[in-house]
Amino acid sequence: MPISRKCVPFTPFDRELSKTTIAIVTAGGVHLKDQEAFNIADELGDLTYRVIPPEVDSSRLMVTHHHYDHSDADQDINVVFPIDVLRDLEAEGFIGGIAKKHIGYMGYTMQLKAMYEGTAHEIANDIDKGSRADAVVLTGG
Amino acid sequence: MKGIPTVLITVSPEVSAQMRPPRALYPKGFKIGNSLGRPGMRELQQRVLRDALSLLTQNTRPGEFATIEYPEYGEQYEPPRVKKL
Repeated sequence: MPISRKCVPFTPFDRELSKTTIAIVTAGGVHLKDQEAFNIADELGDLTYRVIPPEVDSSRLMVTHHHYDHSDADQDINVVFPIDVLRDLEAEGFIGGIAKKHIGYMGYTMQLKAMYEGTAHEIANDIDKGSRADAVVLTGG
Repeated sequence: MKGIPTVLITVSPEVSAQMRPPRALYPKGFKIGNSLGRPGMRELQQRVLRDALSLLTQNTRPGEFATIEYPEYGEQYEPPRVKKL
């Protein structure tokens, strides 16, 4: 079955943005420098993900991903993982808050079924439990 | 789980459309690796994120994209195409 025929899990949004807590989930291979790097040696990809805390200093983040040019993200992680930008929007009152968990994973994989039925559900559960996110912004590389 | 509303920022709209994301922003002409803009362009990054989050409050249809131009980004890039089999 083509991916596009799967059910789309559309969740309505019924809050005010100024009272909304936001989490970031990125496929851009972002993780803390002291977390285990994604396995780019495996041609099938890496199905794991990393939890990034909200108070992280963005200079402590890095990218491990070999399927896009992340040299710009190496200079400023906000181009794929806008944690400092989110803080700006919180400070100006555009959003209500920043979630207690954010997620980085490496979007490249040859194991689509395992990503779709495994990793994606694990990430959603992790966000659902304990992040206090009301909505999620997704980014790729 | 009751579900969490999501909004996607993508620089590969044709590729992303295959998954029919509920809400999506395509910042027109941004290259891969520049979802929010270029390094250090904080005001542009703020605009892109505000525009993306604002889609949460608008009527959207899965698979359709809000395409927004940001002239301050500078040089434009063609997005990757889906290969026809």
